[in-house]
Amino acid sequence: MHSLRLASGAEALAARVLLADGMAGFGFTLNMDAGMARDMAAWDALGRSRAVPLHALLGGSHKKTIKIDNDGNPCIPPDWSLLRKGILDNEYDLLRIDPFAWGSVEQISTIAAAAAAFDLGIALLAPNAHPWEIQYCVALGAILRGDDSKVILRTEIKEKEITISNHPGIGIDWSLEPAFGRIQWQS
Amino acid sequence: MAKLAIASIRLTRVSIPLTLVHAGSMYVIQKAERTVVELTLENGVTGLGDTWGTPEVFAMAGAFGKAWVGSDALDRFALRTATLGKSNYDNKYGRNGRAAYAGLDLAAWDAVARSLKLSLAELIGARRRESIDVVSTLPAAILPKAVSREELTKHLDDLSNTPKVVDFALEQARRFGFRSFKLKSAAYSPEWDWKLLNELKEAMPSARIRFDPNANYGPATATALCKRLDALGLEFFEDPTGELEGLARLKSAVKTPVATNMWVVKDEQLAPAIRRQAVDVVLGDLFMWGGIDALRRMAKATHAFGLKPALHSVYETGIATVANLHLASALPEVEYPNDASLHFMSADILKEVQEVKNGAMALPPGHGLGVTLDRAKLDKVALESTETRL
Repeated sequence: MHSLRLASGAEALAARVLLADGMAGFGFTLNMDAGMARDMAAWDALGRSRAVPLHALLGGSHKKTIKIDNDGNPCIPPDWSLLRKGILDNEYDLLRIDPFAWGSVEQISTIAAAAAAFDLGIALLAPNAHPWEIQYCVALGAILRGDDSKVILRTEIKEKEITISNHPGIGIDWSLEPAFGRIQWQS
Repeated sequence: MAKLAIASIRLTRVSIPLTLVHAGSMYVIQKAERTVVELTLENGVTGLGDTWGTPEVFAMAGAFGKAWVGSDALDRFALRTATLGKSNYDNKYGRNGRAAYAGLDLAAWDAVARSLKLSLAELIGARRRESIDVVSTLPAAILPKAVSREELTKHLDDLSNTPKVVDFALEQARRFGFRSFKLKSAAYSPEWDWKLLNELKEAMPSARIRFDPNANYGPATATALCKRLDALGLEFFEDPTGELEGLARLKSAVKTPVATNMWVVKDEQLAPAIRRQAVDVVLGDLFMWGGIDALRRMAKATHAFGLKPALHSVYETGIATVANLHLASALPEVEYPNDASLHFMSADILKEVQEVKNGAMALPPGHGLGVTLDRAKLDKVALESTETRL
């Protein structure tokens, strides 16, 4: 794990997972949850080592592109009892989820299964609208069924749709933050 | 690895005699027919699948397979939508279509897992367990051969016949170490079921016993019977009646958990079952649900809402039996033992023998399913085959 200062001045955590074959995977978070960054890095390492994108490890992709939208509605906090109650009480038009707050690909897969059972779309929030966050939400968006599913930001955006990456791993462009390239990973 | 293109699909319909006469409320049978799938990728890797072996499902799998050749096996979500449509409304092939799809889907998952050098369990999520407890089926009655419904009911009218089923169960426990049993019911005589279940419990007090009349008792009869059976502490009542409303009323009247593999077999049946509190356990069948991802979604969604997912099966070859072991290993939501009837098949089509020891089966080592097809064994039980190539 490393902490790094982003170009915006915000602090992020970066994680590296090294596989036995030497392949490295990387993850990050802006919410200081090291577990979140490690989970992402593990999936990235597996995808890179097999030369397949995240969605190929999860069963496939439900879409080629995903909608992106400006949305100010609150997200559901990472609490399964709240999520369950809200679904059963018909409180949600969409399940607005901050994947960084829920902490793992497994949690998002489980929410996606619950959403499929209750015919609900999922809106994945990139909480700080950082490009890495958006790329991670897009990678996860591939496994979301339904036309309602999308990536949401709290800020105005120009694009309406983003193409889902087929790059190996989670498909994040680490060069977007020069500080990432300066991290001295221990061997 | 941009794409894992499917180069060919070979289907073989097989008929394998059972070593028992299976008697339940739906049928009395002595053989199992299955469709064996060999799906080969352009990279030369072959994945194995297995599904129902009726002529209808075999023909449907053949038709689906023609459209699959050339497609990317990595993108099974796209293959499912292309084959069965976007929703279950769009699926004009019904449950036969879901089963035909599931056989091909299993072979695609196996081929992909082998190509990515992962076990099937790892590709589904993780390889969490190496050994899975399994359940032995107990026929509703012990018969010398497949008989008509009339002959079966005559046999069931004579309650002195029940100890034969108890002896059969004890033999399964002795030979294979089974601790879990599924008693099929002909749903003809509550008195037979009541007497037999009491005798089974007395003979094997610590055994887990599930009771399965396949929804052929009416809700009132089933509820009255299950209220009496409550005191026996059975593992669960499996489809004691139907449909969902009948099950829900029964469940509200008993303490024993209620399970179904018949009334919750599609995504859109989950929410009504959860809201209605109709069942405690959803017994998912890979072929009824239509593939690995559908079953995985079911397991996660049911568990998220406090229900328990479990894995259902009926007289499958080693391929589907091993697939269910991988599913149970990969899905932490699955706690109940797996249905498994491979020990009642007189032959299998795999090189590696899949044994039940001490009531459990081991996940084979290696990538994908970890098993290999034995061509000579397959040829011995084959009825017909078909192949589609690029």
